[in-house]
Amino acid sequence: MERSNFTSEIPIFNIPGGIHPAEHKTESNSQPIRKLPLAKQLVINLKGQAGNRSVATVEVGDYVLKGQVIAENDGIFSSYQHAPSSGTVIAIEKRPIAHPSGLEDLCIIIETDGQDKWCDLSPVDYKNLQREQILARIFEAGIVGLGGASFPSHIKLKREQGIDTLIINAAECEPYITCDDRLLQENAKQVLAGAQIVAHLFHNLNIVIGIEDNKPAAIEALKKARQELQLDNLKIAVVPTKYPSGGEKQLIQLLTGKQVPHGKLPADLGIIMHNVGTCFAIYEAIIHGKPLVERIVTLTGDACSNKGNYRIPFGTPIEHLIKATESQLANKYIMGGPMMGYELQSLSIGIVKATNCIIMNNKQLPANQSVLPCIRCGECMNACPAELLPQQLYWHSKADEFDKAEDYNLFDCIECGACAYVCPSNIPLVQYYRYAKSTIRNNRVEKIKADKARQRHEARLERIERVKREKAEKHQKAAEARRKAAQATGQDDAKKAAVAAALARVQAKKAQQEKTADKADCVDNNKQESS
Amino acid sequence: MAKLSSILSSPFDKKPNSVSALMLWVVGATLPGLFALIHFFGFGVLINLCLAITTALVCEAVILKLRQKPLLPILLDGSALVTAWLLALALPPLLPWWMTVIGSAFAIIFAKHLYGGLGNNLFNPAMVGYVLLLISFPVHMTSWLPAQDLAANPISLGDTFSYIFTGTSTNGADISWARQGIDGFTLATPLDHVKTELSQGFRIAEIQSSPIIEGLSGIGWQWVNLAFLLGGLALLIRKVIGWQIVAGTLLGVCGMAFLLFAIDSDHYVSPLFHLFSGATMLTAFFIATDPVTASTTAKGRWLFGLGIGIICVVIRTFGGYPDAFAFAVLIMNMTVPMIDYYTKPKAYGHQKSSNGTGSSNG
Repeated sequence: MERSNFTSEIPIFNIPGGIHPAEHKTESNSQPIRKLPLAKQLVINLKGQAGNRSVATVEVGDYVLKGQVIAENDGIFSSYQHAPSSGTVIAIEKRPIAHPSGLEDLCIIIETDGQDKWCDLSPVDYKNLQREQILARIFEAGIVGLGGASFPSHIKLKREQGIDTLIINAAECEPYITCDDRLLQENAKQVLAGAQIVAHLFHNLNIVIGIEDNKPAAIEALKKARQELQLDNLKIAVVPTKYPSGGEKQLIQLLTGKQVPHGKLPADLGIIMHNVGTCFAIYEAIIHGKPLVERIVTLTGDACSNKGNYRIPFGTPIEHLIKATESQLANKYIMGGPMMGYELQSLSIGIVKATNCIIMNNKQLPANQSVLPCIRCGECMNACPAELLPQQLYWHSKADEFDKAEDYNLFDCIECGACAYVCPSNIPLVQYYRYAKSTIRNNRVEKIKADKARQRHEARLERIERVKREKAEKHQKAAEARRKAAQATGQDDAKKAAVAAALARVQAKKAQQEKTADKADCVDNNKQESS
Repeated sequence: MAKLSSILSSPFDKKPNSVSALMLWVVGATLPGLFALIHFFGFGVLINLCLAITTALVCEAVILKLRQKPLLPILLDGSALVTAWLLALALPPLLPWWMTVIGSAFAIIFAKHLYGGLGNNLFNPAMVGYVLLLISFPVHMTSWLPAQDLAANPISLGDTFSYIFTGTSTNGADISWARQGIDGFTLATPLDHVKTELSQGFRIAEIQSSPIIEGLSGIGWQWVNLAFLLGGLALLIRKVIGWQIVAGTLLGVCGMAFLLFAIDSDHYVSPLFHLFSGATMLTAFFIATDPVTASTTAKGRWLFGLGIGIICVVIRTFGGYPDAFAFAVLIMNMTVPMIDYYTKPKAYGHQKSSNGTGSSNG
């Protein structure tokens, strides 16, 4: 692929590991961004972002306009959702969602009316707004990280203290995907204007845009846009094409030479990072008042007849994309890139905010070859950008030795797949790590639950014991009092004494009965608790 | 363990490399060394190769059958081939056939499959087979032929067959006939020769006049080592083997030999002699680099190699055997789990240098 000969404006550091898979970018990045005919139905997944499921604010039968809020956030990591086109809400029900396991979750289904009519938009001059007001606008526009993580953008922007650098991630290191490349070629100015808005939220923010050298046209467009906007504090950092240079931690290392310390955030290094698509969305939200209702998606793969980038409303079903691009049915549909994406289990799912690419593939991928034992060749270690020992992680994960896997820093694995890509034994390494991670997480949750249950149980036993003790003491006192009373009235009357003795026996029997009843009660309660 | 379906898992792209390709590269890269061995020591090594490979593949097939494992994918992975190949290259050219068979079978059955097969063995199988033979049949295993240019009776192909399968030449002469030099004395290997002469009170300067150790390390052996070096470099360039192991081993040999040589050059041979004699290059590039039994971390590979080099020179110099690579490799194999544990690289975000806040695990 063509490489840019533009010299990076800041020094580029090296990152360990990394791989050079076939890029497959030229298939989709030569055509301008297009639009497809609107789908009849849009399936909007309420769990289409990081954090909690959004809460629907519309009901079945409601007519909605494009850009109208249809779901609110639930908790801080959740976000707003807007109608991607005008039409009627025909159902709010469980549908298959974009998830590797083909899970179902709550979706709002909108039948579009073809008008694509916007609701009232309220563009603002952000320079007159308070910081909080701008953040609120970004939040209410439903903007989440469009690079793949779908983390709400306003949260990343909240912290002001100590932030000195904004890195715009335009690396787009995964093969096949070209949506950011195309966006920059066509809308570099808007992207940089979005970055300007972000910069406005901070004092003296340095802006660095990190881009791989396989996007010469985008780099040219950026240079031009920078000149037009007179953005003097923006540096274009061209990094060598190597997967996974676009990973957040990796790009930070490439551009600053620093590593985000384990358990910390980029903000702790004074850095915030946003994807180019996110910057564009911020621009649209603030300058045009448009909430996030669509994104650019790369449609590609050997089974796609019209490869390229398309502006696609959220919720557009995959089957519609296949038809609209006049593609044949393929063997495999991958959402995201080939390195970190996942195979779709259903074609009726709607695209979500994180969907940057759909690969329609017929060709059998070499990943399906037979798996051989690990020979500890260390290829994976040389490819790992996190400087882990994938061969040891694999060994321990396979043996369910999770404490050892953690000891080898399992949780610093970013699941980039570089190890599995180079493995001569074709071992699906990442899957072992995901398995180990999820088992460890589940075990932790289970352990907390079990600890709580044990504490409750112990407290209960102690309470029962205490009550029993108190009762016994009471009975003893009562018996003593009676004996004293009997002594006081004198033992001369044998009859009286016999009566008193009988009474005492009854009393004792009663106490005994109470005791056993108490025990039975206790057993009963235990049963109830365990059931 | 949860069922792992390879269909669902990313990545969906794969570098076109395979275990068998790696193994074939190893075999291919030994060819210059093999030709040198044939040139200087006759065709015995080829017969050894055939015997060892056949035995290894048959043993592997039988064991796989017993373990109810699929035959073809594992037989074709090339690992048994490499084990047999390396063992055969290390064996004396006229070794009786049944010894080669025993060595090869022991390597595959005991050193490899009793530990769980490919990837699970602690010890280098070829070296386990070699050491078994060396301890059991020390006389045969140290009866190397002299380089044919120096031999009084260069042996023919027929003699080679005859020695291997009957123990005598076609004329009924025993092995010492084939080992005779022009002057009528039995010719030893350079390493053996130096050891014997030193023990008889000679000094290095006096020993060096012998044609056996002419040049770097004697006429045959220096070329054999150079040829293995050449093939090994190809593996390094192709990144088939861990360069740290090679560098460590060679540095270990040089360093230790230099230390001794610097102390007393009358009684210790030069580092160059150590580098180019015996199995130095074969081991450094082809045997120590067996990934399964070597250390797997970058630093660990250095230590592993250094250990092999140092131990080898120590045994060569002070021990009872003229060459000692097999022992050195096996000893270092034992240390691998510990080396691996203590040479874990610092993962991303755990470096102290990064903002001084590198934290502990968890």
